[in-house]
Amino acid sequence: MSDAPLQIRNFSIIAHIDHGKSTLADRLLQLTKAVSEREAKEQLLDSMDLERERGITIKASAVTVMHEHKGQPFMLNFIDTPGHVDFGYEVSRALKACEGALLVVDAAQGVEAQTVVNAYLAVDQDLEIIPVLNKIDLPAARPDEIAEEVEQVLGLPAEDCIKCSAKTGEGIQELLDAVCEKFPPPREPVMKQTRALIFDAIYDDYRGVVLYCRVFDGRLKVGDKIRMMQMERTFQLTELGKYTPKPTKVKEVGAGEACYVIASIKNLGEVRVGDTITIDHDPAAEPLEGYEPPRQMVFCDFYPATTTEKKGGDFEDMREAVEKLALNDSSFTYQAVHSEALGFGFRCGFLGLLHMDIIQERLEREFDLEIVQTAPTVSYRAIIRGKGGEHVEVEVNNPADLPDMGSVEQIMEPICKLEIMLPKDRIGDVMKLCMDRRGIFKQQHFVSEAREMITFEMPLAELIYDFYDKLKGITSGYGTMDYEIMEFRPDTLVKVDVLINGEPVEALSLITHKLKAEQRGRALLTKLKKQIDRHQFEIPLQAAIGGKIIARETIKAFRKDVTAKCYGGDVSRKRKLLEKQKKGKERMKNVGSVNIPQEAFMAVLDTGE
Amino acid sequence: MHVIKPSVRGQSLDPQGVETVSPLRHVQSAAHGDAEGPVRSLYVHIPFCSHKCHYCDFYSIVDTQDRQEAFVTRLMAELSALAPLAKGSPLRTIFVGGGTPSLLRVDLWTRLLTSLSEQFDLSEIQLQAPETEFTVECNPESVTPELFDRLVAGGVTRVSMGAQSFHEDTLKRLERLHTPGAVSEAIEAARAAGIGHRSVDLIYAVPGQTTPMWRNDLETALSLPIDHVSAYNLTYEPNTAMTARLARAEFTPTAEEIEIEMFELARDLTTAAGFERYEVSNYARVGAASRHNLAYWRQDQWLAAGPSASGHAAGYRWKNTPRLDSYLGFSDEGLSMVHDVETPDARRALAERLMTGMRLAEGVEADRARADADAICPGLSDELDRVAAEHAASGRLTERRDGTASRWVLTDSGVLFADGVASDFIAAVL
Ligand SMILES: Nc1nc2c(ncn2[C@@H]2O[C@H](COP(=O)(O)OP(=O)(O)O)[C@@H](O)[C@H]2O)c(=O)[nH]1
Ligand code: SF4
Repeated sequence: MSDAPLQIRNFSIIAHIDHGKSTLADRLLQLTKAVSEREAKEQLLDSMDLERERGITIKASAVTVMHEHKGQPFMLNFIDTPGHVDFGYEVSRALKACEGALLVVDAAQGVEAQTVVNAYLAVDQDLEIIPVLNKIDLPAARPDEIAEEVEQVLGLPAEDCIKCSAKTGEGIQELLDAVCEKFPPPREPVMKQTRALIFDAIYDDYRGVVLYCRVFDGRLKVGDKIRMMQMERTFQLTELGKYTPKPTKVKEVGAGEACYVIASIKNLGEVRVGDTITIDHDPAAEPLEGYEPPRQMVFCDFYPATTTEKKGGDFEDMREAVEKLALNDSSFTYQAVHSEALGFGFRCGFLGLLHMDIIQERLEREFDLEIVQTAPTVSYRAIIRGKGGEHVEVEVNNPADLPDMGSVEQIMEPICKLEIMLPKDRIGDVMKLCMDRRGIFKQQHFVSEAREMITFEMPLAELIYDFYDKLKGITSGYGTMDYEIMEFRPDTLVKVDVLINGEPVEALSLITHKLKAEQRGRALLTKLKKQIDRHQFEIPLQAAIGGKIIARETIKAFRKDVTAKCYGGDVSRKRKLLEKQKKGKERMKNVGSVNIPQEAFMAVLDTGE
Repeated sequence: MHVIKPSVRGQSLDPQGVETVSPLRHVQSAAHGDAEGPVRSLYVHIPFCSHKCHYCDFYSIVDTQDRQEAFVTRLMAELSALAPLAKGSPLRTIFVGGGTPSLLRVDLWTRLLTSLSEQFDLSEIQLQAPETEFTVECNPESVTPELFDRLVAGGVTRVSMGAQSFHEDTLKRLERLHTPGAVSEAIEAARAAGIGHRSVDLIYAVPGQTTPMWRNDLETALSLPIDHVSAYNLTYEPNTAMTARLARAEFTPTAEEIEIEMFELARDLTTAAGFERYEVSNYARVGAASRHNLAYWRQDQWLAAGPSASGHAAGYRWKNTPRLDSYLGFSDEGLSMVHDVETPDARRALAERLMTGMRLAEGVEADRARADADAICPGLSDELDRVAAEHAASGRLTERRDGTASRWVLTDSGVLFADGVASDFIAAVL
């Protein structure tokens, strides 16, 4: 390499799922000779099996490679981002460490909803965006049309698109050149004190917490006593390094570079992503801007399925598993709860539905737990009138926690901005679906001859009940959607209580829009009626809003509970049958004298559409 | 499978090479002392049928290998091994069930009956002393006058005829092979041969069967020379073909209200004909209740021979291997390989007495149950009283004074909830 000063480029690749982000990353690394052929077979930036299986990168990481462009040495830092906007917060904090973003679009599929939402995030961070049309080797590729789509939807000039194939390598050199030429260098340091942004943190069984940082000012050195400016904690920096992509230790890192940091941090609770690292003996006066805690938007309870005899043990196993998971996923929250109906368990918070599914699957797969999961709800905010007439705002992550409707002044719910990309001829049906879900139409955008993009504002609560499945159904699988949480907004929301045999069952209550309360209530009761066995007495089921009954059902009493035969001399068999029946009942939840099976607590999911 | 590992000699023919030994060894030693009286009842299981009915979960096979002879030889060895448990006392009841015992060849019946009379004291049965009974289950299509003569000569006093219905449609639904007319002919033949007690089995709530059809079945049965009727509500047992068909919704099961109507009809018509209900599904003329079945339901002791037969003696319960292969292939000096052994347990015994007693019109001796409960654990009788009071309050159970003794008995309407009451008692005791 020449003696020319080292140039640094920090950038991310963002894309709709399956458009080729990981493949392209590998290809770029390969071209810079950082990776051998064999290694290139594996997608290096993803680490967890589950992520690979679902094709989603959950954990961001950074890879540094050296490259020569037109005789000049370049240090390229790839900052990987999660592909899904459930992890939107993680995406934006990763983008904070960059100056540029490659926006990858499948040249056969075109711009999808996730592409759009990701592009917005990059624009928000003032990044330079290079649109990349990938998979041009595919016979179905229509790069010119898709370039038009990019211009139409995202406002990026069609002729700026770089056309390539991560598979064949075509156009990759050109892409690398663009990275070096078009992306701006890191900004100049503005002070001599050190400021480094923590843009990710992972927990590793062997090394403890590993931080990913981008140094903006000053430098980090092994042996430094570092200080977290917001957390106000200090640690001894024991190791600095870069992934090239193999971990390579370095002694120090200067402004503009990205690196990993190990500093005897035991668990993720001790650090915050978004915090600024400075040096303890010569601290910066102000932290870098941009810390915002991740917000859990979807909540549900996990209980151990009490299929085994060891009731308490199941809960302890679950506690251990949940604690372990939280160690390497700081955006997942949990809190021990006790439900009358399901015993001891955890109320867990997630960034979104996908996040919830992933956590549930990991608990079952990695920890071999059997889980009863309650219906998810979103996080509400309620304004409560206190005793002295003062107003207090409370967060309600569980409908059961909502105080009596009489003292509730207002309930606010999270609203998201929803982007849907869909075939033109399905617009009517999709519009109707969105309106039914209390969506407010914002705009319609021409994408291409065949496709349109529509934007809605919609309560998150309406999205979490099979909206995506419905959308896929209506569009025969061609529709894609993505969303971002915008704000909390008040609406005429009510809490619907469910009474079984006259007794309210907290675990079944739900919060819904007033106009939908009756429909939801009725659907729930119909489901319950199917799931609760008949008893020796009649069981009324009611749905009520603050004491006013809005729907009712009745489970008729059975009039007979006797088997015809006593199996001759096989008395044990009959006895065991009766014992089993009795045991089955014990496993159910008793409300008054009614036995309710665990599955019934999922009945809340039914929308009644 | 529960297999007691041997501490005693035993010749293993178990394919897995595990030396297995019958718990009857333990029963034998337990019964050796005089604490337990002699066993006075015997059940023999004949596992052959000419066709497997799709609702049936009894152990029976359609024998394509002609193993009847091998079976009888093996059975005789078992009977001789069991005989000492009767301690020389006369047997009171024998019940040969199945399967279809009437399918056993007449020459093999001769060997079986001879063996029974050689191994056991059948004097009381032969004299038809009170409280004795020797029943053989028969299917109408497989009985002959010759068979009945042979049975009478061997001491058989009672036949239980698998009639099920007198309607062709109902019989077809049940996959029974006989014609409606065959039943009365078979009962008539049994009478002519001198079999003094005759019973028919009927099934109701069969898909497609209406209440008038059921009435007609009952009336036809009651017009026959019989002194006993078993009327069973069709039960969808797990792992039967019929239950699988139900699950596939191939037919509509009878509605609960109709089942109740049919139950009540059986009770009313049999009562009008001079029968009394003495168990949930069993009706008899005075003195004609099945002694052998009562022995089960009163928790007496009985021996068991043949595959899948269950026995109860010296506080043990056990069940013979339910497969003909392993029954034929294993012998511990005549004793069978067993499954599901339960060792003596006072709680279990009390729970079972309450369970089967609740199904009987005579009910359960309350004071004895209380005393037994308190002997297990002081205060346990309060639990029984709590259950009894709960069901008394809802009108299902009464405590009936009967001289000095008092009995817990289900009311007429309570009979329909016998399982619920029994499971509450079981839960209180176990
Ligand atoms: N034909 C072709 N297939 C590609 C190309 N790039 C990626 N793929 C395939 O597209 C699928 C998704 O790629 P991946 O990199 O996992 O996408 P990600 O979800 O965006 O990371 C994989 O099956 C890749 O092999 C390409 O340029 N051409
Ligand atoms: S004849 Fe009786 S034992 Fe044999 S299969 Fe039919 S119902 Fe079962």
